[in-house]
Amino acid sequence: VFFPVAAPDLLDPKSATHNSKPRLSFSIKPIVLNSYEDSDSFTTVMKWKKVSAIFLLVVLYLIIGATVFKALEQPHESSQKLAILDGKLEFLSSHSCVNSTELEELVQQVVAALRAGVNPSGNYSNQTSIWDLSSSFFFAGTVITTIGFGNISPHTRGGRIFCIIYALLGIPLFGFLLAGVGDQLGTIFGKGIAKVEDIFVKWNVSQTKIRVISTVLFILFGCLLFVAIPAIIFQHIEGWSTLESIYFVVITLTTIGFGDFVAGGSETEYLDFYKPVVWFWILVGLAYFAAVLSMIGDWFRVISKKTKEEVGEFRAHAAEWTANVSAEFKETRRRLSVDIYDKLQRAASIKRKLSAELGLNPNQELTPGMRTLSVNFTDERERDAPQTLTKNDNLYLNGLSAQYASEEIAVIEHIK
Amino acid sequence: MPSNCRSGIMVFIFFVFYLTYLFVGALIFSSIERPEEIRLKDELRLLKNNFLNHSCVNSTSLEKFLEHVLSANKYGVSVLKNASVSTNWDFASSVFFASTLITTVGYGHTTPLSDGGKAFSIVFALLGVPFTMLVLTASVQRLMHLFTYWPMGVCQLRTGWSSKTVGTVHFVLLLVLVVVCFFMVPAAIFSAIEQTWTFLDSFYFCFISLCTIGLGDYVPGEQAGQTLRPLYKITVMVYLFVGLMAMLLVLRSLHKAADLHGLTSLFHLPKCDEEEEEEDQEPIIDSLESSEPDRAGLDHKQLTADTQPSYNSINR
Repeated sequence: VFFPVAAPDLLDPKSATHNSKPRLSFSIKPIVLNSYEDSDSFTTVMKWKKVSAIFLLVVLYLIIGATVFKALEQPHESSQKLAILDGKLEFLSSHSCVNSTELEELVQQVVAALRAGVNPSGNYSNQTSIWDLSSSFFFAGTVITTIGFGNISPHTRGGRIFCIIYALLGIPLFGFLLAGVGDQLGTIFGKGIAKVEDIFVKWNVSQTKIRVISTVLFILFGCLLFVAIPAIIFQHIEGWSTLESIYFVVITLTTIGFGDFVAGGSETEYLDFYKPVVWFWILVGLAYFAAVLSMIGDWFRVISKKTKEEVGEFRAHAAEWTANVSAEFKETRRRLSVDIYDKLQRAASIKRKLSAELGLNPNQELTPGMRTLSVNFTDERERDAPQTLTKNDNLYLNGLSAQYASEEIAVIEHIK
Repeated sequence: MPSNCRSGIMVFIFFVFYLTYLFVGALIFSSIERPEEIRLKDELRLLKNNFLNHSCVNSTSLEKFLEHVLSANKYGVSVLKNASVSTNWDFASSVFFASTLITTVGYGHTTPLSDGGKAFSIVFALLGVPFTMLVLTASVQRLMHLFTYWPMGVCQLRTGWSSKTVGTVHFVLLLVLVVVCFFMVPAAIFSAIEQTWTFLDSFYFCFISLCTIGLGDYVPGEQAGQTLRPLYKITVMVYLFVGLMAMLLVLRSLHKAADLHGLTSLFHLPKCDEEEEEEDQEPIIDSLESSEPDRAGLDHKQLTADTQPSYNSINR
């Protein structure tokens, strides 16, 4: 059974959209090929220095992006805030009688404010800007990882245009980084798995089982590190339920990114390093998820291939069977036709001899009586042939002349 | 050629199965989310009525009201009176939602409200995302033949340019074509249909969607009084898929052009394989013999830098 699962390809889930270039083998390499492993991994895996250089480049890119976003968006945000504050004060002053039209206006304003990313409730003095540096960093991160939460989004024209250009350049860049990180991850994990596999080989476990165990370990360990632990942390800090935390983790790491739950998106005071740590987790977790998703994709592929093969096998067998049957049939037909031909030949020769003996026209039809006579004739001749040989001259076969009898004897001797 | 026919039929069956998957997901979402949404709406209506009953409104009740508006807006439930978006979870919208889920665009204008919906989203995404990628890469493989290899071959024959120049020229042409067809024209159409969108907004939307970022600040079909809303949503979904394929195509052409210029080896990157295109053309019976060397080949391929990148590896 082919287990592609045992060698999941690490890849960027968004490679479909932004690059198909960098990619690495996150291979849980089988025992047989262990000797290749170390030397190959040096050449195949991007060097550590290269990876860290790209990492720094990405961080720099993000900081630049964050600064630009902040410069473009924050003024707009402040003006929006002021407008909302004015609206609210107006409403409060006219609190005596509220009719539905006024309410609608208020609500419309509120909704518009929300679309601009401003929270209309709460005190404005304590409210942190959604475009401060760390949040902008986070936003830039969500853009180039193509997660795109959407709880923050650019509202100025300049912001949007910049966002487009930023994404065009940033997504491939992030793809490279992801490839590098995944490679590193793969090497680390692969070494650990190789050690485990060594142990299993000592216990004489079959190759397939080793691969299965490797895959299971990979999934479990990865889930623990990148899904379970972060989910617990989020549950604690953000106050979400368990399901919501896991939901957030999955939606984020598959880069879907709805934005209904965002780590670091609510008004609570976070520690300064919380958001960068979350971003780092996203980076590494994305690499892990890419491997998992590609594994699932490989399974699909194998299933479809196996089905194809099985159908193919079945077809091959059917074709073989048909070919055999028809060949046999042909053979039988051939044999039959040869048999019939032989028999016809023998019948013709007997007819000739008989007619010669009886002085008949060789072309004359044998009557049934003559035919039986000829049959008996041949039988008796065959039976008597060895006996007649022992006699010297007095060969008297039924009605045969001596000359003919000697001819027969010569023929019989020749045959013998 | 019979084998071509066969693989074409397989792709078609695959595609049909894929559509079924999408529709099943939409149905399930629709049935899970509608009750929750109705409940939330009722709550909001009640709140509004209570507010209106106040002869004199104070700030705390206003704050409460605004909080509720805020949380409702998060989930895409509109509080405005004349919102004709009656539900976000009718069939067409659910299909649209499912497609945003598995293409990983994820707008977030509608999100699962109930616990069941969330749990189902997790499972649906974990299976759907690789599935979609498989479909997209398989389609692009075939499209590559039509749009890249064949024109490049013909061009090379006719003009006698080197493969490098042909590669570059072809890539540039393809890029221009894709930008016009999938960005400019749809942006113009969207800005015409959506009253509040300018051309820039529509272009921004197209870009954000086709890169699968999907911020969700612009989502087509959400405005009040939208005629033929289901059809519109489905059309947008189709546009998403085809656009994604086009992007993939452009990227692979870029990869091919970079290969020809030797850039991929320079950056230590895997090459754009052409042999993998032939795999699907193999007659089925041969797959019996080829599966064995394939297995060994795959293991060895894993160890070299030249293995096929990304989800393309799935195609091995």
